[in-house]
Amino acid sequence: MLVVKNLMVFFENALALNDFSMEVREGEIVGVIGSNSAGKTTLMNSLSGLIIDMRVKELRKGGERITVYGEILYNGEDIVEVKPSDRVKKGIVLSRERHPVFPESSVLENLKIAGYLKKREEVRGAISSVFELFPALEDLKNRKAGFLSGGEQQMLAIGMALVVGPRLLLLDEPLLGLSPLVQKAVVDAIVRLRDEGSITVVLSEQFARPVLPVIDRGYIIENGMLTLTGSGAELMENPEIKSAYFGV
Amino acid sequence: MFLGTVVYAVINSVILMLMAIGFNLTFGISGVANFAHGALYILSAYVSWMLLNMLGLPFFISALFSILITTLVGALMYRFVLIRVRGQVLSEVIATFGIGLAILELFRYLGFVGFEYTLPVFIDTSFFVAGVYVDMQRILIVVLGAVLVFGLWLFTHHTSLGLAFRGIAQDERTALTLGIDTDWIATLSVSLGAGLAALAATIIIPLGSISPGEGYDVLIKALAVCIIGGLGSTGGVIVASFIIGFAERFTDSYISSHWTMIVSLAAILIVLTMKPSGLFGKQKELEERI
Ligand SMILES: Nc1ncnc2c1ncn2[C@@H]1O[C@H](COP(=O)(O)OP(=O)(O)O)[C@@H](O)[C@H]1O
Ligand SMILES: [Mg+2]
Repeated sequence: MLVVKNLMVFFENALALNDFSMEVREGEIVGVIGSNSAGKTTLMNSLSGLIIDMRVKELRKGGERITVYGEILYNGEDIVEVKPSDRVKKGIVLSRERHPVFPESSVLENLKIAGYLKKREEVRGAISSVFELFPALEDLKNRKAGFLSGGEQQMLAIGMALVVGPRLLLLDEPLLGLSPLVQKAVVDAIVRLRDEGSITVVLSEQFARPVLPVIDRGYIIENGMLTLTGSGAELMENPEIKSAYFGV
Repeated sequence: MFLGTVVYAVINSVILMLMAIGFNLTFGISGVANFAHGALYILSAYVSWMLLNMLGLPFFISALFSILITTLVGALMYRFVLIRVRGQVLSEVIATFGIGLAILELFRYLGFVGFEYTLPVFIDTSFFVAGVYVDMQRILIVVLGAVLVFGLWLFTHHTSLGLAFRGIAQDERTALTLGIDTDWIATLSVSLGAGLAALAATIIIPLGSISPGEGYDVLIKALAVCIIGGLGSTGGVIVASFIIGFAERFTDSYISSHWTMIVSLAAILIVLTMKPSGLFGKQKELEERI
């Protein structure tokens, strides 16, 4: 479904992604594991096209700060230069890190905004399936998103991505800052989405423990470079991974 | 005298609100400070005037075309100029003010000055309200103001485009991830602001005449209202329009029209010393903003 080949992303002279390659097959949950500033967000932004948008905006102002090399093949088509809104139309939807919601809109309005590309009835249907997945959100639907807890905001952020209608769902650190209990709820929901909603998922994480049991494959990233890859089970057995990403 | 002053103060307030609401909407959605706002207001009036007097089109057709043309000019301004400087406030201000200056001074250079440059009132009649005569045009202004505020509220809360406006106003990058093409929405926000300036001109100009100087006045009034209200806040625009609108009319009636400008400026200073970000500053609710 998705093949990344030798992706390089520079911010000025700093190399944020260095010759990174990965593959995602239909129906998989793929993890990208790396510590802070390893390049996870840069990868997610490259996949969703945000990096292209950032580059376009820099260029307009006359700067050339961001450079992207390499290929991103989505169902065989190279999408490196495709802008974010067109990638969304192809079914690639990103939920950004730190549970991005519109803080001054209610939960329901957030979900409605996410339905921008859809017909009214489709949006209504999508919103009720989000409430089915995260029943807690339904009780909070009139609450301003800015007043939700971190966990609730994360559920809302995933819910918004779902309303958009992803075939490939990108989740950037969906477990960041959540309590273990909420982390488990979010991970369970992700597995359900794959199993019942036939959505392919790429998620990034700093800590491997909560996600390794559910991912089909993991890519360990350090300083923008791929250092190790394997199935969730293989990675779990690897002593280096144990010491580096099971701490805390 | 008191009731009559109140009636005219309300009308004056709604006029200020109509002048400011487009500027405010553009700023609230895309953060673009469009200093060509007053020039667009005057441009639409001249276009209307030309269609009416040079081509002999009926007034309402001329008005409709001039609103559409002004809306298009707003979109072109974004696509060709603002898109490059977006986010750099000073460059935005200089670029848009320059465009406005060019438009206004072109009309002055071409000699479009004088009392014959005006637009007709919609319906020529008047009523006796609260002890004073009020003409139909002023009543229509108040009605239009109310309808517009309600319509904008409906639009931003109940249409997918309006909701996208609310999204991009809060977080542009998150809006992008939802498939909202933020450049397109920003284009629309500038053109919608321009269209609102044209709509305001269509209904307000019949009370006076069209002149390049009026373009600068409208810009200054819009800025004053938006700064008092807290840039970007619709609730703020309404409240601020009424503060300035009432201050002006009551000064006129009870002190002297020489003091009108000073009292308005004093109102601005007082609000800003008490609340530097305006009555409904950015930190406040989006609910108030668009
Ligand atoms: N907009 C940017 N400008 C300059 N450098 C950046 C920018 N975004 C990320 N970087 C750099 O790229 C590297 C990777 O960052 P990031 O992708 O955010 O890592 P992670 O998400 O894994 O924490 C870091 O060294 C970071 O400083
Ligand atoms: Mg990150």
